[in-house]
Amino acid sequence: MDDDDLVARMAAGDDTALRELFGRHASWLAVRLRSMLPVADVEDVLQETFLAAWRGAGGYRPQGACGGWLWGIARRQAALLLRRRGPAEQAGTALPADLTARRDAPDPAETALARAELADAVAALGPDGSPEREVWRLMYEQDRPVAEVAELLGVPPGTVKSRAHRARRLLRAVLRDGTAAEGGAR
Amino acid sequence: MRDTDPGLPQGQQAPPDVDLGRVWTAVAAQVWRRRPGWLERTTGRLLRSPGLARALLTTPSLLLPWLIASIVVLAAGAAATLNSGQPVVALLAPAVAAAAIAYSYGPGVDPAWELSCSMAVSDRMVLLVRALAVFAVNAVLGLAASAALGGPARSGAAAAAGAAAAVTFGWLIPMTAVCAFALAVATLARSANAGAAAGVAAWLITVLSGRVASGHFAAAVTDTVLFLPYLAIGVTCAAVTLFATRIPRGSYR
Amino acid sequence: MNVEITELTRRFGRNLAVAGVDLQAGPGVFGLLGPNGAGKTTLLRMMATVIPPTAGRLRLLGRDPGAYGPRREIRRRLGYLPQNLGYYPGFTVVEFVEYFALLKETPAARVPAAVATAIERVDLGGKARAKLRTLSGGMLRRVGIAQAIVNEPELLLLDEPTAGLDPEQRVQFRALLRDLGQRATVVVSTHLVEDVGAACSEVALMDQGKIVFQGTPAELTARGTEHGTGDAPLERGYTAVLAAARS
Repeated sequence: MDDDDLVARMAAGDDTALRELFGRHASWLAVRLRSMLPVADVEDVLQETFLAAWRGAGGYRPQGACGGWLWGIARRQAALLLRRRGPAEQAGTALPADLTARRDAPDPAETALARAELADAVAALGPDGSPEREVWRLMYEQDRPVAEVAELLGVPPGTVKSRAHRARRLLRAVLRDGTAAEGGAR
Repeated sequence: MRDTDPGLPQGQQAPPDVDLGRVWTAVAAQVWRRRPGWLERTTGRLLRSPGLARALLTTPSLLLPWLIASIVVLAAGAAATLNSGQPVVALLAPAVAAAAIAYSYGPGVDPAWELSCSMAVSDRMVLLVRALAVFAVNAVLGLAASAALGGPARSGAAAAAGAAAAVTFGWLIPMTAVCAFALAVATLARSANAGAAAGVAAWLITVLSGRVASGHFAAAVTDTVLFLPYLAIGVTCAAVTLFATRIPRGSYR
Repeated sequence: MNVEITELTRRFGRNLAVAGVDLQAGPGVFGLLGPNGAGKTTLLRMMATVIPPTAGRLRLLGRDPGAYGPRREIRRRLGYLPQNLGYYPGFTVVEFVEYFALLKETPAARVPAAVATAIERVDLGGKARAKLRTLSGGMLRRVGIAQAIVNEPELLLLDEPTAGLDPEQRVQFRALLRDLGQRATVVVSTHLVEDVGAACSEVALMDQGKIVFQGTPAELTARGTEHGTGDAPLERGYTAVLAAARS
């Protein structure tokens, strides 16, 4: 029984499907949330996430992206929690202080979450020093041109471009539907 | 029987300080919870006990199928009264109530009865509340059936109206006696069937002997001489019921 | 001491079901062994305040169950699984456990969480909203255990709790008992000797209304080196003690 079937059964009121979904997804969601929030908050957010999933199962469009759907709900619940707490509390969540203190930021909680999520996704590219990670760091974080990166890494520019392409593809997959978090870095 | 989260798939490791079991229990508590209706909530506040309210509203003879059956029987009685001129409703109502009350409490009715005897909401309290509620509901049903007949019966002289009133409401007192009797038998015999049978049989005998004594069926409900004996029987049987459901004091030292 | 019993006696007509039992129990798992008709169920029913004793002294959770108020307080903190528990076939597992949580006067706000915890602890989470009439005998027994533990009782009385459970479920059940026995007094009445050996810190053996042995499972096993018969050490102790008591 795949995830889409489970959610369809949840929409029909089957609580055993929710239990199964929890068993499959709660742990990786917990891992991702734990990197951004303290323990008690992780448990609260997880609880609200699955309750929201239960109530909103009817609105899910089956595309095989159940993990991403759940992660989207989790993000919203985390943002709600942080917003309720207020700016002072957000400092305890391993997020950059300048971001949480700025009043003119559109939504500090959202931005902070997005930033943490990006850092998490970049980690999914591979361990520090792996080809895609290095290319990402040099080309996008340090904003160097292709030729310079090729020289620094000692590889042809074509290789740099293809690694960059692969990195972007990986990141897109992670950010869109959370699949990389379940399978680990490729 | 475990305190870990359900079905953790192979290879997935939750962070060690996150208690997924506790999270799931909190989710399940909300998903599984039963939300009582307004009647149960109100009753719970009135009785100051949500448990007592739930016990009351799950009384077998207060459930919808039983109520519908009672209504059908009394409606048939009303039709029979109109057709035959005999006060069928007045004669039926006590029997219907006796059966209902026998089926409100006790081992014949409650499969988990022994467990109920160890509950903080005492089984005697449940008995009291259920018996009163069943009696009240049946009285109302009987009154409704009688009132539906009130139109045709009331056309006539005041004396006729008085007699009609006696027939309309006079069955309430015998009903009390018959119900108390049925309940006493049910608690003593520990069987709802026995109580129902005893109540209905006793009422049948009363009606028939009234017929024999004075020539018409309605004697059992209209003969005011009988009211005191009825009440005496009612009180005695109530006392018997209380005695049968006691936990004697003084035996614990 | 959660249970203090002194010379407890219960008579039914001419039948002396319990004949002068003395018992003291604090937190931990306490096993009650004995053949059928030994008086175990009657003793348990008296501890569950279902029937009063004919004579003797009974104190539960530091209170006297003879008066209405203390008895109610005891019952709020009590969990009881009778030997034959009937079920309401049309109820679901949740409804059944919740019904008794309410009758034990568990505060209404805590009921949903208490019910969910109890159901998961007996491993019936996948059947929570199934109707009782669809469940097997072993599952129904676990429902019974769930209603007994739903109010986190300080005194838990279980009469033949493992009837209908398969060996794996019995292992899990014993783990549950040990867990519960850390804070509460758990009294388990059973005629399955091996149930007792694994989980109980103390054991009493009843025969014909009297307690003929009280001690640890190891001490009972030791008694078996006398003329005990049986396949397992504990069984030999059991038969040896019974034989000695009846001779």
